[in-house]
Parts: sequence; structure tokens; C-alpha cells
Amino acid sequence: MAARAELNGAGAAGTQAPAAAPGAEVVIDSVGKTFRRGGRRTVALAGASLRVRAGELVCLLGPSGCGKSTLLRIIAGALPADEGTVTVGGRPVAGPSPDRGMLFQTPMLFPWLTTRNNILFGPRAQRAARLHERDDPELDEEAAALLDRVGLTGFGDAFPHELSGGMRHRAAFARALATRPSLLLMDEPFGALDAITREKMHEFLLDIWDQHRTTIIFVTHDIEEAILLGDRVAVMGGKPPGIGEIIDIPLGRPRSALDTDTEVFLNARRRIRGLLQPAQLRS
Amino acid sequence: MSRWSTLPPDEQVISEPADEAAPAPDAGQEERADLAAYRRARRRARTRRLGTGALGLAALVVLWQLLAMLISDPVFLPSVSQTVASFAHYFTHPYPSQGKPLWYDALTSLRRVVIGFAAGAAIGVALGAGMSSSRVVRHAIDPVIEVLRPLPPLAFIPLFIIWLGIGEMPKEVLILIGVAPVMAVTTVAALDEVPEDLRLCARTLGATPRYTMLRVQIRSALPGILTGMRISMAGAWTSIVAAELIAATSGLGYLIMQAGDYLNTALVFSGIISIAILGLALDACLRGLLLLADPSRRR
Repeated sequence: MAARAELNGAGAAGTQAPAAAPGAEVVIDSVGKTFRRGGRRTVALAGASLRVRAGELVCLLGPSGCGKSTLLRIIAGALPADEGTVTVGGRPVAGPSPDRGMLFQTPMLFPWLTTRNNILFGPRAQRAARLHERDDPELDEEAAALLDRVGLTGFGDAFPHELSGGMRHRAAFARALATRPSLLLMDEPFGALDAITREKMHEFLLDIWDQHRTTIIFVTHDIEEAILLGDRVAVMGGKPPGIGEIIDIPLGRPRSALDTDTEVFLNARRRIRGLLQPAQLRS
Repeated sequence: MSRWSTLPPDEQVISEPADEAAPAPDAGQEERADLAAYRRARRRARTRRLGTGALGLAALVVLWQLLAMLISDPVFLPSVSQTVASFAHYFTHPYPSQGKPLWYDALTSLRRVVIGFAAGAAIGVALGAGMSSSRVVRHAIDPVIEVLRPLPPLAFIPLFIIWLGIGEMPKEVLILIGVAPVMAVTTVAALDEVPEDLRLCARTLGATPRYTMLRVQIRSALPGILTGMRISMAGAWTSIVAAELIAATSGLGYLIMQAGDYLNTALVFSGIISIAILGLALDACLRGLLLLADPSRRR
């Protein structure tokens, strides 16, 4: 009940809502992963360490094959790490959990469910697993609040194919928020969108994050996206692949596309370009 | 055939309050302002498409009638009205006189198709599910299916008569043999197509592995499985009529053969039209299920 009140309250107040369910701290400690296929070993990730503060937005940036998606999937619990440990909110990761929401490059909405029922998939699955006993009216109320939050009021009964690209991503967002995760893992979520929709989604993401203050780990290969969104940017790459330098982005909040012209932004971009250069040449 | 199949179930559209007419929005527009208006526009496009389809059918009937009038030989090509009269008469009157009326033959063929199809689909889906979930099962069954699949089921008719006699069983098994491999292949394909990330997505939303299996993986494969059923249903009608032409004393194939032997061409046409109607009706049922299972096809 308290959490729902917070949800509605935050929607009304706009910004600066108190974080009733604050983001979790994520500790990634020398994580490694090696894939074996037909006797061949490929080191996908080696010695990755990173401490993400509660409520922080960290971007993992790097070219294809730098291990960023592998790391994200290890944090999600979809892949077991061969070495090292990941703890989220003090608890070690062992398998997927609704506490760690995930957003993919495509929205991954369930095409046979309406937007409302997509949003309620998580709460209903958890209810089926006896994780809570919230009844249907309560869930419907929560779905309505989330639809409102992501600007999809009036589209609760629409099926995914009836939504535009940006709307689908917002619906996926609402679905991920419905389980009230303390950590959101985002795997190049806006990579397939056109530039204008993408810019809108950046503002949308920052707005939602501002209200919820969940911790976010955002994977991207787009330098500007990483700088615009992240408190810090972890540059990945190298051989074997791992986390290289971690760059602080001293841009103020709230941020918008206008910040891409500032000195701070350009400096960060120059620095990251320099870090990525040798890795790109080598691969 | 494919245009025909869009006809009947399209009446089953998304239920929505039919409120006052609103200006139709551009359906391809990026930001959709109003869901109801968007759906209205799509429904209008569908009505237009159906109208064109009905026109095509009407043209076929007109062409038939013109040809019949031109030839004016009811044994070679009966007219539309002669065929309708024949259909109406023999629907309740037996042919030949010691035989059964058309409705009885139609029901007989329908029963054989439905039983054989249901059994074949059940076996095929079970095989497909097994193949999709276990690599050993897949590698063991795959070659068997690949050998069986291209064989025309009709080649088995003499064998089934030797093994199973001339009762209902061999005809139903014949349909089963045609349906099962197709269903196994389409089921495997449908299950394989479910993206790994969709399952991961369900898991990160708190679904248990079992819940994910039932509510996401199988649910997601359902439209593909139903499409496989539509394909194999068409094959089932081919098999049953062929079997009834050769070894049967009832059924639409038998009726057509009898009518042909006595040059009752109008009745031959009546039998063919009966098969078309039954085939369309069964396909409409499957298409209705498909529309229920896959909202994105409701257009």
C-alpha cells in the first residue's frame, strides 16, 4: 500500500519524489566468463570489477564483443559467472529475479497481451508464485497509475502491434517498473529507434529515473548516449575483454539534448574517444 | 484458397464500443492519438479488402454460368441453377437410390477428417514439443519425419487396407499419417522461434520456470502451431476424398465417384462444392482460434 501511494504521489508531484524503494547498490567483483564451444574457449569477460552506488545511473560503453552484454546478463542472473561474484543490495545474484528488471533492445512485449496485461504480467506471475496477495482491483489501479506515468493512458487495451515504436518501449518500461525493481538493467534499449524518438526516450528515461531513483546499469555502444545519461561511464574493451577506465560525467541534472554542446560533454566525449581508439584498432 | 480463407473469421473483430464516427487517422502515423479511431480505420480497410474478395468469387460464378449457357450440355458442364437444384434435391434424397443422402456422406467425410486430424495433430504437437525440448529426441525423430513427410499419404492406402481392413480406421489413420509430420515440423519451428530473451524477460518479471514455459513459451508458439493446423487441414481433405474414391461405400469422395460413373455431373459439382464448404468451415474455425491467439492478425 505504501509503495503504491508513493507511486501515485510521485506522478502528481513530478520531480524530486522521495525514494520509498531506493535503488540497490551493485558490487561487481572480478567477474569472468569463458564460453566453450567445440573445444574452443572464448574469454568473453575477465576480471570485471565495478561498484555502482544505490540510485546511480552507470553506462557500460564499448564496441561489440567487449563483454558488456555478457556482464549485464550475469548481473541479471541469466548467465552464471565463471569467476567472481555480483551482489545486488547485499545479496549475491543467483538466477533471474523481479528485483532486477531488464529492458532489451526490442521491447519484448508479449504480443498476445494488451498493454495493461503486459504491465501486469510481473505482478500476476509473482502472485501465481505466492510472492504477494494483491487482488485484481489493486493491480488494475497500479496498472492505471503506470500507464499514466509512461504517457499511455487510453492505450491500456491496445495490443503491442497497435503501438508505435516509442510507445512500445514506454510500455516495456512500465512493465519492468511494475515489479518495483531496485535495479534496472538496460541492454541497448533504444538502439533500434530513430534519432528523434530516441531523444524523446532519453528524456523519458531520465524523468522516470528521477522519480524512482532505482539504480540503472545501461549498456550502449553510443558514446553520446552514454555521456548524456550516465553519472559515470565504464568504458569496456581490451583483450581479454573487461572494464577499462570509469569516467565521471560532471554534468548537472536534469539533463537534456542541449547538454551535448557543453564543454563538459565535449571533454568527456574526447576522452572516451581516445580510450576506445586503440581497442577498435586492435579488433 | 488463401483469399477465401480470409472471408469468414474476419467478422470476428476486436470488440469495441461503436461510438460516433470520427475522422479516420493515418494508420501509419508514428504517434497514435486515439486507439479507437485507429482501429476504425483498420476495420474500414478490411471491409474494402473483403469486398474485393467477394467480387472475385462472384466473377467465378458468373464465368461458370456463362460457359454453361454457351456449351448448354448439362453432362459436360451443368449450369449454376442446375447444380443448385441438384444439391438441394440430393441433400435429403439418397443417391444412388440404395445409397445415402448427401448430408450423410458429408457428415461421414467430416467425421473421418476431424477424428484423423485431431489424432494426427495431437501426435504431431507432442512429437514437436519433445523434439524442441530435447536434442536427443530431435536428432532421433528428425530423419524419420524427413523420410515420411514427402511421401504422399495415398501411397499407403493399399497397405492400410491390408493391415486395417476397409472400415473407418484405415481412413482415419491415413489422415493421421498426413497430418502428424506436418504438425511436428511446424510445432518445432514455432517453439524454436520463441526468442530466448522473451523467456528471460518473463523470468526477470518474477515468473517461475514452469509459469514461463506455459504462459510464455507455449503461448508464444500457439499462433505458429495453429497455422500448421490450417496447412495440414487442407492436406487432410485431399487425403480423405482420395481414399473415399478408392475404398469406401460412403463419404463425399464415394458420392462423387458414383455420380461420375452415371454421368450425373451436377451431383459431382454438388459434392465438390460440399467439400469446399466443409473445408472453408473447418479452416474458419482454425482461423478464428488463430485470431484469438494472435491479435496482430486481426486486421
